[in-house]
Parts: sequence; C-alpha cells; structure tokens
Amino acid sequence: MSSPESVVATPSRIRVVDADVHHNVRAKEDLFPYLSRLERDRLLEYGLPRNTGLHQANGGWRGARADTFDAGEDVDPRSNFPMFQRKLLDDCGIDLAILQVELTPSLVALADVDYSAALIRAINDWSLEHWVAKDPRYRLSLTVPMHDPVLAVKEIERLGDHPSVVAVYVVCGSTRLYGKREFDPVYAACVDHGLSLAVHFSNEGFGMNPPPTAAGFPSYYAETYLIRPQFYQAHLSSFLFEGTFEKFPQLKVIFCESGFGWVPAFRWRADAAWKELRLQTPWVKRLPSEYIDEHLRFTTQPFEESEPPTAVDQVIAWMNGARTLLYSSDFPHWDFDPPEAVPARLGPQVRRQILADNALLSYPKLVPLAGTVRA
Amino acid sequence: MSEPRREAHLVCRVGDLPPGARKLVEINGRSIGVFRLEDGRYLALRNRCPHRGAPLCEGRRTGLITAEEPYRPVFQRDGEILRCPWHGWEFDLTTGRSVFMPEAIRVKSYPVGVEPETSVEKFDVSATEGNVVLWTADPPGSQPVSAPRPEA
Repeated sequence: MSSPESVVATPSRIRVVDADVHHNVRAKEDLFPYLSRLERDRLLEYGLPRNTGLHQANGGWRGARADTFDAGEDVDPRSNFPMFQRKLLDDCGIDLAILQVELTPSLVALADVDYSAALIRAINDWSLEHWVAKDPRYRLSLTVPMHDPVLAVKEIERLGDHPSVVAVYVVCGSTRLYGKREFDPVYAACVDHGLSLAVHFSNEGFGMNPPPTAAGFPSYYAETYLIRPQFYQAHLSSFLFEGTFEKFPQLKVIFCESGFGWVPAFRWRADAAWKELRLQTPWVKRLPSEYIDEHLRFTTQPFEESEPPTAVDQVIAWMNGARTLLYSSDFPHWDFDPPEAVPARLGPQVRRQILADNALLSYPKLVPLAGTVRA
Repeated sequence: MSEPRREAHLVCRVGDLPPGARKLVEINGRSIGVFRLEDGRYLALRNRCPHRGAPLCEGRRTGLITAEEPYRPVFQRDGEILRCPWHGWEFDLTTGRSVFMPEAIRVKSYPVGVEPETSVEKFDVSATEGNVVLWTADPPGSQPVSAPRPEA
C-alpha cells in the first residue's frame, strides 16, 4: 500500500477542487437545439421529468440556498450561470468545479430508455456548450443512462474523450446493484476513457426504481438524510464482492454526498466478513479495506458534525481520510459546505490534500498539466 | 467596572425602512441586519450564522413552529423567526437565540429604535420623521425607543 503522506510531487496551482456542484437547465426549451424533431416534440408534450417523490419536501428554499435566488423567485438558482461564478467560484475560491447536473436523477429513472438516452445526450451537450465552454474552471461529470448499460457505454464513447469530461455520473437508485457484471462494460469504458465513476444518491424510489428502504418510503426529509448511507453501502458491498476492482484495477469510484462517518465501521465489518466468507468469493484477493483505500473516494459535504467537534478527526484517521476525502460544496443546495467546513485543525498539509490534491489524483483527466502530480 | 459606552449608529431614516423591510448595515466592521416587523418593531441581529458563517440576515422570516405532540404542528409569532439561508438554523429575531438550543447557540442581538434626527451627528437635518438608530452596547437603565412587545 502506498503511504498516506502527500503524493503530490510538484505543488500545483490548484488550491480548491469542488467535486460536487449541481447546475441545471432553466426550461425544457434549453434542450430543444440538441434533440431530433421527434424527441423535441416529445419533450414539448411531456415536459421535463420531475420525479420529486422522495425529495418533495426538501430543505432551504426549494432545495437551494435561500440566498441564491438572485434572479428572482421564479428562476431556479441552479440555472443562474453568473450567480454560480460569483457566489461559488469567486466567493469560495474554487479553482476547479465538477458539474453534476440536477436533472440526472429524474432522467435516469425514465422507463423509456431510448427517450432517456436522448435527453441525457442533450443535457450533456448543453452542459458542455453553456457551462463548461464558458468558464475554464468547470469540468463535467458525464450523465449516462445507467439503467441501460449498452446505451450508457454509447454515451461514454460519444463524449468520453472530451477534455473537460472527467467522470461518469450515476445515481444510487437502480434496479440492480452496481457491482453486477452487466455493468462491467460501463466500467471498462470508464477506464478506457480515463474517467472516474461518480456515484450520487437521489433517484431512489423514482420511476421504476425500488423503494429507498427495505420497508418502503420515509415520511420526512430528515429521514431521507439519514437513510442515505445504506444506498452507498449496498453498492460498495456489491463492488467489493463481485470483484469489480479486481476486474478494473484502474477504476476510481467517487461517492458523492454519502457522508463519511459510516466508513470506518463498514471497513471493519467488510474485513471481518471477508475473513469468514472469503471462500465464497475467492476472486476477492485482498482485505476489503485495501480495495476501499485504493479505489473509493468520499466527498466531504455534508461534513460530519461530531460531538465533541474533534471526534470526527479520529473518524478521518480510521478511514485514511487524508487520502480518501475530496472537498465538495454541493452548491447551490441548501446544505452547502464552504471550503472552511474542512477544519483548519487538520493541519495545512491534510487540509490541502482534502481540498485539492486528492481530487487531482482521483480523476485521471482533472490534472491540468501533465507531470504536476504523480500517483 | 466601567459601564459599556452607549454608541449609537445611524441605520437609515424611518421612511427608508417600511414595515416588513430589512436592511444590512456595516458597523465597526460587522455586518448587521436591521429588521422592521409588520407591527412596527425594530430588531437587529448580527449577519453571521454561528454554524458555517452564512449571511444569516439574508434568510427568510417565518414563525415559531412547535408541536406538543406528534403530527400536531402549531405556527405562532409569524415573522419573528429568522431561518439561515444555508442550513436552515432558526433564530428568534427578538432575542438572537436559536430555537433548538436557545441557551447554547445564539447570535448577537442589538437594540434598535427611533430617535430625533438631531441626536446623531452628521445626519441630514432635512429629515423630519426621525432616524432608525442601532446601539452597539445596551446602556444600563435605558430602553431603546422601539415599540413595546405585545403580550404573547
């Protein structure tokens, strides 16, 4: 195993990388130029999908920071490009921000996978033209129709070599766990194109997806907050024991907004289970915690608020967080974290790794200049 | 022990802060939100949430929402609670105390009132309706000239 010390050879100019930012279209008409006549007519008739089920009662103001409605009550802050530049990139000193479009969870829950794929192609093209091309600080996490792996691979092949596309964006809601072998071609395409896999909660229980818990739906938003770790734990268990990381030794998986307080306990239980049950999955050759160290990264927001406040420092140590945590703001969502949420008491070196260096090492295409960072 | 110095700061003219309005002012390097409630009361809180440093006074005003028992929410004191625009922490505008841990978590609250314009130096003497004034130290034995709080 490599040492948890800094692995950045040359200090880069990049001081803050934000691994989870949510932009969106203002209206369905934004996507019309990127759709065929047939698809455009459908979108005109059906409207943008709004699978708000689990998130009907969100926090903040309509799910966003209440101080981001700069263009008025009726303009979704997620669609306000100048406001993003001012309140996220400039105010927070973000050097690189990875966009993960707000609409993805609804799009990936559409049962008509061809219509879903058409809308996904459109929103990826629109994101590149109207966000990424207009500010050099943006990178795109490419939405794919993960509910149809064949179509997902096609989208990676179509745009995976774009220099600003750094990851493939999938959401936790799914009819199948992501370690299942039917998804292997997606991971092969990720590795071929130098893309990491970004996994984010959100569409659990949407459309045809199963309910978000084994006992159905919660009633209140605070509950949806608390049940999230199980989505990630389920997919992580699947990755580990299906042997995904044996099959794709170069694959990096970024868990976005999963929280991270649960990670140490998961590692301990996974290691114990492997020792006891290894013979059932002999292709899993190492301790699960070693795969997690090497392949998994966790974004920081919402940064754990422990009691006493310093208790989280031990959690970070137990999960090698100095190497495995990536700063994220979740802007413009109401539960936003500024870079200051990563505590100064962790020390300048660890803080720098969490704010920037770990991200530069976790997305192969994120490094702006070859040679500034070595793995 | 010396008494805190009563330091009055001009916020604006009365007419510039109609009922229901708010104004952000910078006093001694601190951003402060001054609110005028619909019933005429003036209130002021420091514009910084103790949680993550958000501009608290840009948040939405709401009421005190409580419940004696599950599923029976009660909405009272419309407009007297300020919710942080980021994570939604609730503060009592009249005291600066948080709703969820009023003893432990609070923001600085300042007395605000109306004074004749001559009481503050450098003020435009053409104004006739009075000045909204904020005191950075609450003087012992004196009360700000704000409207009395109605009985709860």
